[in-house]
Amino acid sequence: MGLLSILIFLPLVATLLILALPSSAKATYKYVALGFTFLQFGLSLYLYGNFDATLGGIQQLDAYQFVEQLAWIRMDLGAIGKLEIDYLIGVDGISLPLIVLSTLVMLMGVGASWNIDKSPKGYFALLMILNTAVMGIFSALDFFLFYVFYEIMLLPLYFLIGIWGGERREYAAIKFFIYTLLGSVLMLLVIVGLYFSVINPATGAHTFNMLHMMNPANYVDGSFFAYIANYHEVFGIPARLIGFIVLFFAFAIKVPIVPLHTWLPDAHVEAPTPVSIILAGILLKIGGYGIIRVCYSIFPDIAADTNWWLALIGVISILYGALNALAQKDLKRMIAYSSVSHMGFVLLGIASLTAEGVSGAIFQMVSHGFLSAALFFLVGVLYDRVHDRYIYNFRGLASLTPKYTAYVAIAFFASLGLPGFSAFIGEAFVIIGAFNAESMATGVPRWMAIGGSIGILLSAAYFLWTLQRMFFGQTRLKGGLAWQEALTDLNTREQVILFPALALALLLGIMPSLIFSNLNASVIQLIDLIKPYL
Amino acid sequence: MNVSIPNILDQIIASIPLFKPELALIIGFIVCIFMALFIERRWKNSTFIGCVVTLAFSLYYLIDQLSTTGTGFSGMWLVDPLSTYARLVIICSTLIIAIFLQQRHSKNNGDVYSILLAATLGMHVLSSTSNWLMAFIGIEMVSIASYILVGYFSQNKVQSEATMKYVLFGSVCAAVMLYGLSLVYGLTGNLDFQSAAHLQGLMDAPEAIVTLALLFVFTGIGFKLSFVPFHVWSPDVYQGAPTAITAFLSTIPKVGAIVLFARLYQSWSSTAFYFSELSTWFIIVVAVVTMLIGNLAALRQQDVKRMMAYSSIGHTGLLLMVVFAYQDAFSYLLFYVVAYVIMNLATFIFIDQIEQETGSTSLLSYAGLGKKMPLLFTAFTLVAVSLIGIPPTVGFVAKLLVFTSTFSIFQSSGDTGPLLLLIVGALTAVISLFFYFKIPLYAFLRNSDQPITDKKQVSVLLIIAYILTVLVILLGIFPNWLMEKVS
Repeated sequence: MGLLSILIFLPLVATLLILALPSSAKATYKYVALGFTFLQFGLSLYLYGNFDATLGGIQQLDAYQFVEQLAWIRMDLGAIGKLEIDYLIGVDGISLPLIVLSTLVMLMGVGASWNIDKSPKGYFALLMILNTAVMGIFSALDFFLFYVFYEIMLLPLYFLIGIWGGERREYAAIKFFIYTLLGSVLMLLVIVGLYFSVINPATGAHTFNMLHMMNPANYVDGSFFAYIANYHEVFGIPARLIGFIVLFFAFAIKVPIVPLHTWLPDAHVEAPTPVSIILAGILLKIGGYGIIRVCYSIFPDIAADTNWWLALIGVISILYGALNALAQKDLKRMIAYSSVSHMGFVLLGIASLTAEGVSGAIFQMVSHGFLSAALFFLVGVLYDRVHDRYIYNFRGLASLTPKYTAYVAIAFFASLGLPGFSAFIGEAFVIIGAFNAESMATGVPRWMAIGGSIGILLSAAYFLWTLQRMFFGQTRLKGGLAWQEALTDLNTREQVILFPALALALLLGIMPSLIFSNLNASVIQLIDLIKPYL
Repeated sequence: MNVSIPNILDQIIASIPLFKPELALIIGFIVCIFMALFIERRWKNSTFIGCVVTLAFSLYYLIDQLSTTGTGFSGMWLVDPLSTYARLVIICSTLIIAIFLQQRHSKNNGDVYSILLAATLGMHVLSSTSNWLMAFIGIEMVSIASYILVGYFSQNKVQSEATMKYVLFGSVCAAVMLYGLSLVYGLTGNLDFQSAAHLQGLMDAPEAIVTLALLFVFTGIGFKLSFVPFHVWSPDVYQGAPTAITAFLSTIPKVGAIVLFARLYQSWSSTAFYFSELSTWFIIVVAVVTMLIGNLAALRQQDVKRMMAYSSIGHTGLLLMVVFAYQDAFSYLLFYVVAYVIMNLATFIFIDQIEQETGSTSLLSYAGLGKKMPLLFTAFTLVAVSLIGIPPTVGFVAKLLVFTSTFSIFQSSGDTGPLLLLIVGALTAVISLFFYFKIPLYAFLRNSDQPITDKKQVSVLLIIAYILTVLVILLGIFPNWLMEKVS
């Protein structure tokens, strides 16, 4: 068993352990979860340290690292041929940073769950299953395996939101589930189609191996998703375009893009704080990761054709999300919409098809990952104390809770793209990429880059305005004295969780090469894969 | 044809080895009747033991037959791996049903076992014949046995009403089917639907008559499979019958019928003539409508058993898709059938267990039960997940195999029909999420003030259900274990 497998299945061991412990040992569940996630975090850092940055990955299996391949399912289906499914996992420069991010956010999530007292056994067991699924998604290189992890992820989330969530939790949980399932069942059809179109050159059998799907030479002539001389059309639309759109739709729901974003504010608002942290910090990244790993790598020809539209969707998401954030009166909802806006940058960067843009997009995913986690945690801190997060119900918090205010201010400034923080690097690279796209002739016009910049401006507006409304001025609280007493400043546990995230934002803002150096080779490889079709 | 009697006798004697599992059932059936009449009074549960022993014998002979392929009784009896495996599934699930009955209806249950054996025999006939006469006998045997089973334990008006509905609907469908069969026989002069003469006759016949004959024949099969529009009986009967019988109705009869239908469709769709086209379009339209109606109607149900009736109608739509995709490899057909049987049996055992404790099958009564019976509802949720078709469960692999085979037909033909099937099949999975997830929704997400004390007794049934749940997961992760056995 390789390191990567251990990384994936470690949380599952934690789940079994938690389930096996008697309920008299209630207090130990969180320590088990914390211990295992900490171990995972250490392991992912070790992987990151031992990563060879010169290897690209993307469509070459040799260039993947920590690869494990086992024959998993082999079935003879008679006329249809042999079914070939592998347990194939590995990482490249695109997935590894996201894995490290996931372990970190997971750690923050466990830390934020410290005070959960409603059936902690089920809670931590589900959280750990979710953890396994997320690690699996980022490491799977076999489409079947990827899909299995992708779907497993939904179940614990449904229960985490549905049982431990807020007032309208049932609605939010099922809405989230339906949205994602709708995307993924259609994705399943495309997976089946790809399976029939691709053969493994070594064995001659059809395969679910994603890397084989990325190589045009492996496509069977005349098959549904055939590359060259593809004459398959459904209702007059080329089959490959349909495949791309369906997959993009599935991942775009996760990102989420406007107009498929409506599940996100509901899910965030109703979810308990740790789940919000994981949703924003990890699960949105699965959308961006899926677009890069699946849509762009398997359908590079369509990616080159459609990137104008994708970039447009990105710009719309940036602006629409920001304008919505500006109008929110619920702090958590505002941050949820800011996520929509910030994830729009990811889409714009990927669609720019320039090395700067794609690197910026991945950097933005990582940066948004822990920054949004920190933001949701900060909202959670407020909500824990007074069970209210309505912006206009607070005023002049700065004098009451100075430490809290300082952390909020730093997190807001980091998120709005202040130079020196990580979000600035991510957004700047995306905009540079989008701006250069016209000279690289990738089809993304300059005005889209300008649209992105306006988004940064708007994010400054909503963050600063919120800061002003809630923290400055004379202390006036809706709950009066009761609230004033309840609103204690941050305790040590909360600071321990927040400090690393904000320190990391600063560190990556100053030394972006910590991430760029490892993902550069993969990004260039991806661009090379798509370039011939531009 | 002038065949001398000794020749016929020789042939019959030579065919007997192929018929051993069924002979065991026949003998067991007769023995069970006598046991119920004379021994049951003195020695409780003797009929149950007789039934189990019979099934064990039948199972033993079946395993013996695993590698045999052949026909007997002048082509009336057909033994091939598909029929053998299907019969294995039937016997194993009958065994579970028998235990179910013994556990839940321990009083006055003597005759139920002999009827159960008779139904099993009918199913065996259905899954190992390509002859219309045998098929009709099989269908009638299963039907009549089912009528009795549904009414056997009836105690109130609702249950009697369910029985009456079932009998009336069933008899009319059987009559229509028989009429259709007579037309088919008149057109072809041959009762074996796989024979060349049969197909030739259908090719030559006028279109109007063929349409009528085929639709009539499909009526009878449609009743057993309960696809739309012959599904109206099933919600009432499922809800009215005792849960053990509902578990029986929703699983075993469908296995036999689906094997028969698969054989029939395979041979009827093999030509380029009108009747093949008609069969193909019939199955596509019916599958699509069945999936849609089954899943949409299930959304509105408040009773679990009724909901499961519609869910099983929805699954019938998928089974029709399997039949549509059935070519010569039967492995995914069997895989789906096995998955379906496992999931349904587990579901009904859970429903029954909850009914025992709360006295209700209404979804509303599930509120807050998740905390009181965490293990049961976790397992129930996993089975529901499998019924939707989400990994890592057997339901997902089964669905994937169906989609795979349908897609291969789409790719080679390029018709819109299979594509429609695929899209509807995928979308109904999303619809089904709504109603299957009502179970965990009520159990875990809602709270209730009703004090219910979990009796915490370990029952054989529940252990079986948990084993089935473990199978649901294990076969979902390692489908090889089953597939290697089958192919």
